[in-house]
Amino acid sequence: MIRAGIDIIASIAAGFYTTGRHLFVRPFTESYPEYKRPLPARSRARIILTRDPEGRERCVACYLCSGVCPVNCISMQAAEDSRGRRYAAWFRINFGRCIYCGLCEQACPTSAIQLTPDFEHIRRDLLDMVFEKQDLLVDHCGKDPDYDFYQHAGVVTGLAGKGDHISENAPVNTRTNMP
Amino acid sequence: MPKLIIDNLEIEVPEGTRVIEAAEKLGIYIPRFCFHHALGAVGACRVCAVKVLEGAVEGVQMSCMIDAQDGMKVSTTDPEAADFRRSVIEWLMLNHPHDCPVCDEGGHCLLQDLTVAGGHSIRRYEGGKRTYTDQYLGPLVQHEMNRCIQCYRCVRFYREYSGYNDLGVTGIAGRVYFGRLREGVLESPFAGNLIDICPTGVFTDKPSRYTGRRWDFERTPGVCIHCSLGCRTTVSARYRQVGRMEGRFSQRVNGDFICDRGRYGFYYADRPGRPRSGRISGQTVSVDQAVYEARDRLQRITEEHGPQAVGVIGSGRSSLQTQSAMVHLCRTTGWQGPVFRNTRITGAAADTAACALNPENAVSMRELETADAILAVGADPVNEAPVLALAMRQAQRAGAQITAIDPRPLEWPFDFEHLACRAEEIGEALASAAERLSDSRRPVVICGTEITDAGIVLQAADLVAGLRGSGKTAGLFCTLPQANSFGAALLDECNACAADLAARVEAGQIRALAVIESDLWHDFPDRPQLEKALEKLDLLVSVDFLDTPLFEKADIGIPSLTVFEAGGIYVNQEGRAQQVRPAHTGGLPITVTGAGDHPPRTFAPNVPGRDMPAAWVTAFCLAGQAPPETDAQMTAWMRYNFAVLSDLARMDADGVRLFAGGKTPIAHEATMPEKPEQCLELLLAAAVFGGEPMSDYSQCLRELAGLPAVWMDRADADRHGIAAGDRVGLGFENGEVSFVVRISDHMAPGVLVVYRHPDIDWQPRAGDTRYNIREDRIRRIEKA
Repeated sequence: MIRAGIDIIASIAAGFYTTGRHLFVRPFTESYPEYKRPLPARSRARIILTRDPEGRERCVACYLCSGVCPVNCISMQAAEDSRGRRYAAWFRINFGRCIYCGLCEQACPTSAIQLTPDFEHIRRDLLDMVFEKQDLLVDHCGKDPDYDFYQHAGVVTGLAGKGDHISENAPVNTRTNMP
Repeated sequence: MPKLIIDNLEIEVPEGTRVIEAAEKLGIYIPRFCFHHALGAVGACRVCAVKVLEGAVEGVQMSCMIDAQDGMKVSTTDPEAADFRRSVIEWLMLNHPHDCPVCDEGGHCLLQDLTVAGGHSIRRYEGGKRTYTDQYLGPLVQHEMNRCIQCYRCVRFYREYSGYNDLGVTGIAGRVYFGRLREGVLESPFAGNLIDICPTGVFTDKPSRYTGRRWDFERTPGVCIHCSLGCRTTVSARYRQVGRMEGRFSQRVNGDFICDRGRYGFYYADRPGRPRSGRISGQTVSVDQAVYEARDRLQRITEEHGPQAVGVIGSGRSSLQTQSAMVHLCRTTGWQGPVFRNTRITGAAADTAACALNPENAVSMRELETADAILAVGADPVNEAPVLALAMRQAQRAGAQITAIDPRPLEWPFDFEHLACRAEEIGEALASAAERLSDSRRPVVICGTEITDAGIVLQAADLVAGLRGSGKTAGLFCTLPQANSFGAALLDECNACAADLAARVEAGQIRALAVIESDLWHDFPDRPQLEKALEKLDLLVSVDFLDTPLFEKADIGIPSLTVFEAGGIYVNQEGRAQQVRPAHTGGLPITVTGAGDHPPRTFAPNVPGRDMPAAWVTAFCLAGQAPPETDAQMTAWMRYNFAVLSDLARMDADGVRLFAGGKTPIAHEATMPEKPEQCLELLLAAAVFGGEPMSDYSQCLRELAGLPAVWMDRADADRHGIAAGDRVGLGFENGEVSFVVRISDHMAPGVLVVYRHPDIDWQPRAGDTRYNIREDRIRRIEKA
C-alpha cells in the first residue's frame, strides 16, 4: 500500500521534472511568419521564367511544359522575333490550378521554367493567381547559371551563324565532290 | 499470291508486295523513313531492317527492298534486327541538331518518334556536327538542312511523283544536300507536300511557323473547297483559329497529296476584316437585328410588289446545306432564284458537265491514274484543279498517252501533245483527235468548263459514250468552276443565271436581291451592268463570311460561318458528296481578343463572336421558318425534301456519289461570237495562285501570283515587235490595263491569254472573260 503510494508520487515527480526542465532550455519553435526557414533550392513552389547568362529570355515557347502539365495550367503562344529567335508572345500560368508537381521544369529543354522555394504567393482574388509572362519573368538564371540553349541548337538566330555554335563543323561546301 | 509468315502471323498478299507492306496489312508497323506507299522504296535509310528466318535471302534484310515470297518467314522482333535498327537510329542522330524545341516538326516528327522508340537518348559520339547553309525556298516552305537524314523522300516526290525539276540533290558521301541549284521560290504548286512527306523538320510550314504543336491542335477531317476536286484535308485549329492544313489520305479522291492553294488558302477565315457582326446601312448592329431587319424588309417588298420582285443569288462555294436552304427559301416565298451561276455560257457548261455524268462514265481521280490514254479538252489542270495534274502525271508515268486541246500556253509537269487551237475551234479539234483514243483500253476524256461551252462538254460526253459503246472502259472527267458547283447543278430549279436577274433588276421587275455567299463583284464578268443593277435596287442583302465589296455595299449585311466553323456537305466534280466536320466552334480567335498579347482576363458566359449563324440558318430565318436544330437534322431534312439528295443516307468514309439522273441542264446559247478581222482574242483564264476569291486573301499565295502577265504567241509578238518581259498596255473600251508580256511557242495563234490575278480589275474594263481586242490597241509601254 505504502509502496504503491511512493510509486505514484515518483512518477508524478518525474513528469514534473521533465516539464520543469524545459523552463531552463531555449525553445526551438520557429514562429512563422516572424521567422522564415531557408528552404533547399529544389523545393517546389512559385514558378519563374529565367533568363540565359546574357540576359535574354530562355523560354522558346516549345509547348513542352504545357503539354506535360497534368492540370493544364500553362498556356502560351510562340512567335518569332526579327532575328529568328523563337519566343513566347504570351505565357500564362494559372496558379489557382497548379499542383506544383514540377513536371514542367523537368520537361523544359532550355532551363527556362523553374520552380522556386517561394511558396508564399497566395492571393485573395482567384484572378490574381493567374500570372502573365511579365509576372513570371525574372532577371537571373535561376538554378542553372550556365546553360544557353541557342548555343547548342544550331539554328541561326543572330547569335551565331551556321557552324559557329558549340560542337558544330563548318558548313558543308555542296559545290564540290572532292573527298 | 505468295503466302508468308511475319511474326508468327500468316498472310497472303498479291505478287510484288514488299514485306514492309505485307506487315502493315497485318497491323505490324515496321519503322521507316524513306519508304512511302505513294513513292515506293529506295532502301536509303536502312531503318526497316527485319530478319528473314526462312526464305531465299536469309538474315537481316531491308523489308522495303524484298518482295514477299511464298514460304517466307520473317521476324521483326528478332534481337539482331532490333539491334540493327537501334544502331541505324543512333548514327542518323549523329549529325541531327539539338533543336527540337524550336523545330515545328517536333511533336509529329517520325525521326523523333523512332529515336524515342529505339531508346536512344545520349549522343555517344563526341565529334562535331555537320552543318549546311539553308536556302530561301519561297513564302511557303522553310528550309533547315541540318536536320536532314538523307531519306530522299523530298526529291522523289518533287521530281518523280510531281514532275518538277528545280529541287534536287547535290554532293556525295556525308555531304549530300537537298535543295535548289540557286536559292529561289519553288516552282511546283505542290511544294507544300514536302512538309508532309519529310520525316523530319527539313521542310516545315512557313506561314504557320510556331503557331502550335500537333498535340495542341484540334485536328478535324476536312475537304478543300478551293477548286472542284474536293481533296481531303486535315484541318488543324487552335484557339478558335485554323493554324495549319495538311493533306489527308483518300482512297478515291486525292491519294496523299494536295496542292498549295488548298494548303494555304484558308487564311480568309481569320482575317481581321472578316464580317463578324450585322450591318444595316453601314451601322454595326447585332446579327439577330440584321437578320430580322432583312426578313421584314424583304417581306414588305414582297407584299408591295409581289414575290417576283425579290431575287436570290447563291454560288458554288456554299455547302449543300446552304444551297438547299436557299432553294427552300425561294420555294416557300415565291422569290426568284436561287441562281448559282453568273453567266449563261459558263453556267451551261458546268451544268452540262454535271448532268452528263452517270454511274457508268464517271471516274474518280484515282481511277484516272490507271488510264492508258487521256484527252484533255479545254482544261488546264495545273491552274484549274491542280491535284488533277498530279493524277495525270501518275497516268503518264505508267505509260498513258496524253493529248491536250487548248488555246492556252499549257505548262504541265509531264509529257503531252498539245494541239493548240482557238477556243472556237476546240469542237473541231476534238472531233479529229478522237481517233487517238481508238487504240486504248481505258481512255479518259477530261473536259474543262471555264473556256469551253456546253456544246463541247456534250461532245466530250458523246465521245466517251461512243468509246464505251465500242467496248472500252472509257471515263469522263469534267472540272467545274467551284467546290460545290455540282451541288448547285443538282439543286437548281429556276434555269436562270445572275446575268438574267441583273437584267430583270434593270427592267425594274426585281427590287430586292439577297446575295448569299456569292462573289458577284469578282466573278460577274460585266461590272458596269452589275453596278447599274445595284444602283436600281431598293434593297441589297448580303450574307457572307468574306468582306467582299458587295458585302460592303449591301444595305443589310449578315455574317455567316466558314466551312471550318459550320462544316457542311460539298459535292465534287465527279458527284461525290463529302461531309466536312466543323474544325472549331467559332467565335473570335484569341489572336483577336488578346490583340497578340495575353488573352483577356475577363470571364463571360459566352465566347465573343459566337452568335453568328451558318448561312443556311439565315436562309431559313429569311423564309420566316425555324431551321433544323442540329446538323444531323439538317441532313435528314435535305434528304426528305430533295429527291436527288436521298442517297446522302448512304454516305460513308468515301462519301457517296450523287448523280443528276436525266435532269435538263440550263439552256445555252450555241455559238460564241466570231473573231473580227485585225483582232486578237483575249482569253481570261484561271491561275493556280490568284483569281480564286477565297485563297486570294492569303498573303503568302498573293506573293506567288507574280506580276499580271499576258501570254502571246511568238508570231503575234513578232508582228507587233514585242519581246518577252516588255510591258504592254491593252486598250479596252473602258480604259487601258498594263501587263508584262510572256511569249509562248505552243499556244494558239491569234489569242492573248491573261491569267486571273488579284491585282487586275478586269471586270470594269473587259466586261467579259473573252474580249476581242483590236491589234492597234496593243501598245508597248516599256521595253524589257
